[in-house]
Amino acid sequence: MSTGGKAMRAGQMGLLAIVLAGLSAGVVRAQGPAPQTPVPPTPPAAAPAAAPVAAPAETRKRTPAPADAYVYIGWPNDGEVIRSTKFKVWFGTRNFGVAPAGTNVPNTGHHHLLIDTGLPGLDDPIPNDRNHLHFGLGQTETVLELPPGTHTLQLLMADGDHVPHDPPLMSRKITIYVRPGG
Amino acid sequence: MRGFASCCFGAVALGAVLATTLAVSPGRAADTKPMPEDARVYIIWPADGQVIQGGKFWVRMGLSGAGIAPAGVEKQYTGHHHLIIDADLPPLDEEIPNDRNHLHFGRGQTEARLELPPGKHTLQMLLGDDNHVPHKPPLYSKKITITVVP
Repeated sequence: MSTGGKAMRAGQMGLLAIVLAGLSAGVVRAQGPAPQTPVPPTPPAAAPAAAPVAAPAETRKRTPAPADAYVYIGWPNDGEVIRSTKFKVWFGTRNFGVAPAGTNVPNTGHHHLLIDTGLPGLDDPIPNDRNHLHFGLGQTETVLELPPGTHTLQLLMADGDHVPHDPPLMSRKITIYVRPGG
Repeated sequence: MRGFASCCFGAVALGAVLATTLAVSPGRAADTKPMPEDARVYIIWPADGQVIQGGKFWVRMGLSGAGIAPAGVEKQYTGHHHLIIDADLPPLDEEIPNDRNHLHFGRGQTEARLELPPGKHTLQMLLGDDNHVPHKPPLYSKKITITVVP
């Protein structure tokens, strides 16, 4: 449960940062034009200049998730030494449901497995590449093939549009040691 | 697997609901939806023969080669879990009954909180499509027996 708590705090801080950014942008805009021209047409004049700045702050609303929902990596365990380059990873989800990408049933999402990478931006769709695997069919496990060495794995749930929830549902980032063989 | 077990026992019950009750319209012959031949469902935990103290536990439901979708969401090669407790498989060409012995997980859940009285019990999983009808071929797990001790 502590993982979920941390995840939630991280999410809230992220939101807070965005809100602050939005507020400060608003303050700058409000102060900027005022001394120059006291006439009403100020807002339209200021708008085009402010638009590029305001756009990132007005991020889409993230899909809500209940506070007690969480995801975890059922296997492997953190620190696991795996004597095969091919192994199964199963995804645990509690107090929440799984749904394929493109569906928008409340309290559901689909899994993403982050491999050897940090968390992506939580307000944007999760990238889709070798380090960010999408399970848009609603899969709850996968078979990975990784080269021998040290790797990290982390699960991140996202909504029908691949954007993490609010608070974001993510597992602990675990480290595994893949050995040749098997 | 021992890790899962201790984790499972460590989990505190949060007023957990056994299953989401979904209105199932009375049995109607439905089209059977296809599933890949290599897809399968299985009970991750508990293990067959597991002895469980106290009778409150989480069942972890595994699915390989296919995906989970909530009831009512139609997408090829997906379905939602049903857990059959102390009962045999229902007819595989009809909607799965919805009662104390046939729990539906129509919100796409992959874990089920159970509370069972002391004694021997059987558990078996059966995947159902968006209309709660098993697929073709039907995906059901091995029927396992567990023993609950007070």
